Amino acid sequence: MSIAALFNRSGAGVVLLLVFYLFVVVLFSVFSPWFLSFDNMMSIGANMAFIGLMCAVQTPLIIAGGLDLSVAAVAGLSGVVVALLHASGVDIFAACLIALALGAAIGLLNGLLAVRLGLNPLIATMGSMSVIGGLALVLTGGLSKPLMEPGFNWIGGGQLLGLPVPLLLMLMVYSALGWLLARTRFGRFVYASGSNPEASRLVGVPVERTLMILYMLSGLSGAASGLILAAMLYAAAPDAAGQHLLTVIAAVVLGGTSLFGGRGTIWGTLLAVLLLGTLNNGLTLMDVSSFWQDVTRGGVLLLAVGLDQVRTRAAGG
Amino acid sequence: MTVSPLLALEGICKSFGSAEVLRDVDLHLRAGEVLALLGANGAGKSTLVKILCGVYPRDEGVVRLEGHKVQLTRPEQAISHGVRFLPQEVSVLPDLSVAENILIADLPLKRTWRGKELDRSVLHEKAVELLERLGCDLDPDQLVRQLSSPHKRLVEIARALAGQARVIVMDEPTAGLTENETQALFAVVDRLKTQGIGVIYISHYLDEVFAISDRIAVLRDGCNAGDFETESASRQEVLAEMLGTAVGELYPPREGAGEGADEVALQVTGLSLAGALDDISFEIHRGEVLGVFGLLGSGIDQVGRAIYGAFGAMPGARIVIGGKDYNPVNPRHGRDRGLGFVAAERQREGIIPDLGVAANITLPFIDRYTRFAAVSKSRETAAAQGWVDRLGIRCSHLGQTLRLLSGGNQQKVCLARWLVDGLEVLILEEPTRGVDLGARRELYLALRQWRAKGLAILLVSSDAEEVAGVCDRAIVLDRGRVSGRFAGGVSPADLLHVPSEKDSA
Repeated sequence: MSIAALFNRSGAGVVLLLVFYLFVVVLFSVFSPWFLSFDNMMSIGANMAFIGLMCAVQTPLIIAGGLDLSVAAVAGLSGVVVALLHASGVDIFAACLIALALGAAIGLLNGLLAVRLGLNPLIATMGSMSVIGGLALVLTGGLSKPLMEPGFNWIGGGQLLGLPVPLLLMLMVYSALGWLLARTRFGRFVYASGSNPEASRLVGVPVERTLMILYMLSGLSGAASGLILAAMLYAAAPDAAGQHLLTVIAAVVLGGTSLFGGRGTIWGTLLAVLLLGTLNNGLTLMDVSSFWQDVTRGGVLLLAVGLDQVRTRAAGG
Repeated sequence: MTVSPLLALEGICKSFGSAEVLRDVDLHLRAGEVLALLGANGAGKSTLVKILCGVYPRDEGVVRLEGHKVQLTRPEQAISHGVRFLPQEVSVLPDLSVAENILIADLPLKRTWRGKELDRSVLHEKAVELLERLGCDLDPDQLVRQLSSPHKRLVEIARALAGQARVIVMDEPTAGLTENETQALFAVVDRLKTQGIGVIYISHYLDEVFAISDRIAVLRDGCNAGDFETESASRQEVLAEMLGTAVGELYPPREGAGEGADEVALQVTGLSLAGALDDISFEIHRGEVLGVFGLLGSGIDQVGRAIYGAFGAMPGARIVIGGKDYNPVNPRHGRDRGLGFVAAERQREGIIPDLGVAANITLPFIDRYTRFAAVSKSRETAAAQGWVDRLGIRCSHLGQTLRLLSGGNQQKVCLARWLVDGLEVLILEEPTRGVDLGARRELYLALRQWRAKGLAILLVSSDAEEVAGVCDRAIVLDRGRVSGRFAGGVSPADLLHVPSEKDSA
């Protein structure tokens, strides 16, 4: 079998990513004695969990033909809302529920703009990103709000069965969405809606409803990762999550999801999240300046997407 | 032969991976000749043409233009040698004028004190001259966006002439054109011939091929399968070479009435849609195929989907399915009431390109394969495999994405979706447009079988031969109204004659 034929087979993009991931792991373990320890691996997972959570829902949303740029801003706002409510005496559990409901409501609003009104999702969610990010700053005056509450901080820094709680939460969400996409009727609707919305509508696929649900879930995932981040940091910073938006989109694309919709898997995204987290961690251990880390991350993204394009061309003829 | 032909392809071979697509193919084209290139889908026509146009490199073989070997490894090389490909979808620049479109590759410039500027008068002059060579009088200053699609096609041909084209390859140029527009295009092709240009004409319509071509070259399974002088060739022998085995008629023989033919399956009264349909009424019995024939713009683009629910509610119309009133709401509602619908634009409205064969087939009735929210792979696979076998869908495996299938096989998938128990009426729009003859025959056979089982079929088509060959009864639409009704034994000529009769009345 020729190389081209091997590349051509389905899932080859994910295989390539896995090979690259293993290469990076081997490289870092050679250069840093601490890298390959169990604790370090777990800390990579825990640190990436709040980003991974946002990527998890962003993946089916992009597959279905949508896009949510406001998700990281929602994370910022949700942390702020919990901190402010808690400070004013609201029970922490109730505050969390309110923040999650707010996230879902923002998702619903994004859905209304992008699906019902038919605005370009890039523009619609860029607008709501700016509004939400601004509101978080207004509510806090731009300052971090401390958030100390043992039960709450457990979801960010606690352990269960020897594993970090945020990592477990993230893996649970990935398993659930993986099953949903691969096995259920809803998963079919996601792929069909993104691949050809008009044809899907004509065979009776509820394209609009599918997208609305995903926008709502995306808002919810933003709120949830905002809670995890605030729990990890013992504080809610209004702009702590917003900077990670590009990482979220980069991970989804790196994982092999097509921005044109119709193609992608949740497991590719998970692998990309781990890869980006590992790069961050490894470069820090090797004392590389965090300024260089942005350069590396962007370079990896361009390399992966470039390679994928070459592969697609080869497959096309 | 002493004079070398305009274009000669000799011993062309091409493989993709382990799949051999072309094997030792020869093709000759003389100046001023129309060569029809025929072949079932997958025969290698489009690969051969892409090699000629520099899209794919060839593995082996020689391409000669007027006897000289030429390299054609990039599309620009083919264009500079005067080889032009006009794809099925017209590709023009909608926001530029007709003249700018025609001369886009070589815009005339003039020197002014500001520098080089577009020379509008020369542009206009050159465009008029090129359009005159085609015998048409389009306004060169009009925006191409405002043109009808046959006129856009003319702009494309004029652009090829502007680039000194010697060989023009046309892929299904009449898809979506009416009879009159097709005749107008043929007149243009005749003019190209008299100017010494060689035309390679790819089409599925045998009628057209016999009307326009001088010679017919047939490909089958990547090999030359026959070369005919059109004048002395018969349809039967051309068809036989294309399909490889001696085939009978394209249309399967007629049978007696289908099951339950005394029951009315669908009754439509007073169906109207602003600007398209005006008070249309008809009924279909179970086990019956009703044809709706019309030219483009007659309302055949809307009638089927209006009933199905693609346009939402139809106020004023009374529609009865199986004795019960039905009000169109949306496609999902139509599906749940026992209507099936196969849309005319297969790429845009039919296939889900990224889903596999099985997932495409089960999509409308996915509920039937779902238990506790999960799709049962085994039941889905069994059902899909059944359709792949019965309709002869050619795919490497059931998960193969639909974008990789040929047009005919994609259409079989779109049909298989709806052939389930409980379907009352199947609405088909242009079911065999762009489908090769072998697949067409298999599609017609499947329709016959489901008709026999009592399914009512509404076949909307602008192909008079198809309506005459397949339908039990037919109605003809003209400007949104029913202009003729035929019960049994209708001929293509009858169908085509109806609108003109009305014109003279």
